Amino acid sequence: MMFGLTRKTWTIARHEYLVNVRRGGFIFATLIIPALGLIGVIVAAFFGGETISFLDEQFSGATQKVGVVDRSGLFADVPADFSDDFVLYPDESAARIDLLDSRLAGFVVVPADFAAGGTPQAYVRSEGGLSSTIAVESGRLTRFLIRGLLAAQVDPTRLDQVERLLQDDLNPVALDAEGQPTTADSSAIFSAGAGFIISFAVALLLFISIFTSAGYLLRSVGEEKENRVMEVVLSSVTAVDLLAGKVIGLGALGLTQVGVWLLSGVLITGGLGAMAAAATAALNPGILILALVYFVLGYLMFGTLMATAGSLGTSMRESQQIAGIFSFMAAIPWMINGLVFANPNFIVARVLSWFPLTAPMMMMIRLPHGDIPVEDIVISLVGLLITVPVVVWGGAKIFRTSLLMYGKRMSVKEIWGTLRAA
Amino acid sequence: MSAALIVKQLQKSFANVTAVQDVSFDVQRGGIFGLLGPNGAGKTTTIRMIMDILKPDSGSIQILDHAPGLGREQIGYLPEERGLYRGLRVLETLVYFGELKGLSAARARERALLLLKRVELDDRARAKVQELSRGMQQKLQIAATIINQPELVILDEPFQGLDPVNVDLIRRLIRELRDEGKTIILSAHEMHLVETLCERIALINRGRIVLNGDLAEIKRQFSPNALEVAPVIGAAGRPGVAHAEPVLNGDGRPRGERITLDPGVTPQAFLKQLIDSGAPLERFEVASVPLDEIFVRVVTGKA
Repeated sequence: MMFGLTRKTWTIARHEYLVNVRRGGFIFATLIIPALGLIGVIVAAFFGGETISFLDEQFSGATQKVGVVDRSGLFADVPADFSDDFVLYPDESAARIDLLDSRLAGFVVVPADFAAGGTPQAYVRSEGGLSSTIAVESGRLTRFLIRGLLAAQVDPTRLDQVERLLQDDLNPVALDAEGQPTTADSSAIFSAGAGFIISFAVALLLFISIFTSAGYLLRSVGEEKENRVMEVVLSSVTAVDLLAGKVIGLGALGLTQVGVWLLSGVLITGGLGAMAAAATAALNPGILILALVYFVLGYLMFGTLMATAGSLGTSMRESQQIAGIFSFMAAIPWMINGLVFANPNFIVARVLSWFPLTAPMMMMIRLPHGDIPVEDIVISLVGLLITVPVVVWGGAKIFRTSLLMYGKRMSVKEIWGTLRAA
Repeated sequence: MSAALIVKQLQKSFANVTAVQDVSFDVQRGGIFGLLGPNGAGKTTTIRMIMDILKPDSGSIQILDHAPGLGREQIGYLPEERGLYRGLRVLETLVYFGELKGLSAARARERALLLLKRVELDDRARAKVQELSRGMQQKLQIAATIINQPELVILDEPFQGLDPVNVDLIRRLIRELRDEGKTIILSAHEMHLVETLCERIALINRGRIVLNGDLAEIKRQFSPNALEVAPVIGAAGRPGVAHAEPVLNGDGRPRGERITLDPGVTPQAFLKQLIDSGAPLERFEVASVPLDEIFVRVVTGKA
């Protein structure tokens, strides 16, 4: 923030954080999302049959083998590099017993005419859940079957070549507008896709964080106005100290809530968390830094606007109605999200990026797509860097005056007069 | 020593309403100063400008040798529109307000415990504010006002809603603060309390100062040549008496007379005349008008 932060600002920030983090409403809202997620996982597993084994599979990380019943004679034994994943069974009934006893993720019957074009048949338990399905549909089983099919007929070197092709992802080279390879490392398709998803998820979480915190600001200011505490506080601190303290403290509160949601999401989804972490590593740090800049500027702007809205209303309901105007502005970019996906540089998206009230959200949505014109970034940042201090300055002035107007809302004329006053 | 507060030609308007007009007064250090006036007279607006919560349109304020807003740590303020964090505990509330006044957390806690004892709330330190009665909350607010041991204390309606026992407690507290050398500005509607506490007053009416000065002197100005004597001495026919009326007992029987002397006749000369005439005098005193009567007379324009 452009104003010097005083010790009192931090006192207020700490107070706001500690008082609100203990509130039943905050604890409920913070825990309900992970709880619902967990319940969802448990219910899905329960209806799938074996809750305990499902959870065990999800959280223990233990993997089960896939059984192979060979009627083709091509799989006399399991090659060493497949032995961790596959086990041979003499007949289908033995494999079936082990599958039903949950000792196998699934099993596959290789028909006698496999070499002549016969199709293998895979089996899983209906209660086996996601891990069973993944086991029998994985590329690893395909490679195992190809190895068996070709081993006796193809030169081992050629077989290795085929396997490498199956094993490794193609590493595309990205071309720029002139058809030249870009200097940026356009690593794997997975990394690029995951990087986009993670960038988008980060933008979404930052958006949620901004509005969670702004919502707390609105409520905090509205309640203090209703409780008549403001005048006591304003006799000890300046309006700017008070506003800054609230913005910092409740911003931290919003981040805490989103952090808990994120952490619980990683814990509940288990393996997905590891995938997300891997993808985050592939995330463009430039995009991440820019997203954080838009987050900070966006939060300062919307936080101040919400606090001001809280001070303007004569009741919480009225404050929320005023705040709705700003929430709507911020939500516009998300309303045209689908269009941005199709073309992140279409003109409406660009114009919304230049307008300060929609810029933070619009840019956070566009950034993960990459290839955003530099002028859009510059215009949006300059616009925000001018707007945020003006909003904070004006907000603090209106905040100070309107906080003391009990039972009466400031008119537009009065707001203008307050802003013009020295 | 400079004055604790100097207010000069203060002016403040809201839209088309002039709330404060050409208000000037000063408050010397030490003692209790009464800032009085009817509802809507401009007292609270004046106090808010002194506290830098509102900005004046014109005029100047010097408070403890500073411009308003500076040196907040030396000022304690109990506003008329006051509230507390209802979900917070009593001790937490005081510590937080102490920290806002610049005290360290440890010092604020130490002061809070001391003050809770002083306002007889020490047994409620762990209670939530919402569990306190209105009177208790008021005492807590007063404790919060002085937690930083301010040099100047501004109390806007501190007796509002208190029972007589707590009124007495707060009155004692205010006197103790004065005895400690603090300067107190008291705004209250309970004129009998103001009368017993304040040495100087300023009365604001319709945004203007209409009375300002030493309370005893003001009272004398409003009761020139007024006397009370006992028993009834038949004052009406005596020379130098402009007007006399009986002062009644609770049972309706006269116990004395209230006398207004002719202009130019001093109480001393009249007393000498009574003694010389052998009047059976048991009581003779220069009468003063109660402050609430002065207040009503000034505000209604009958002064």
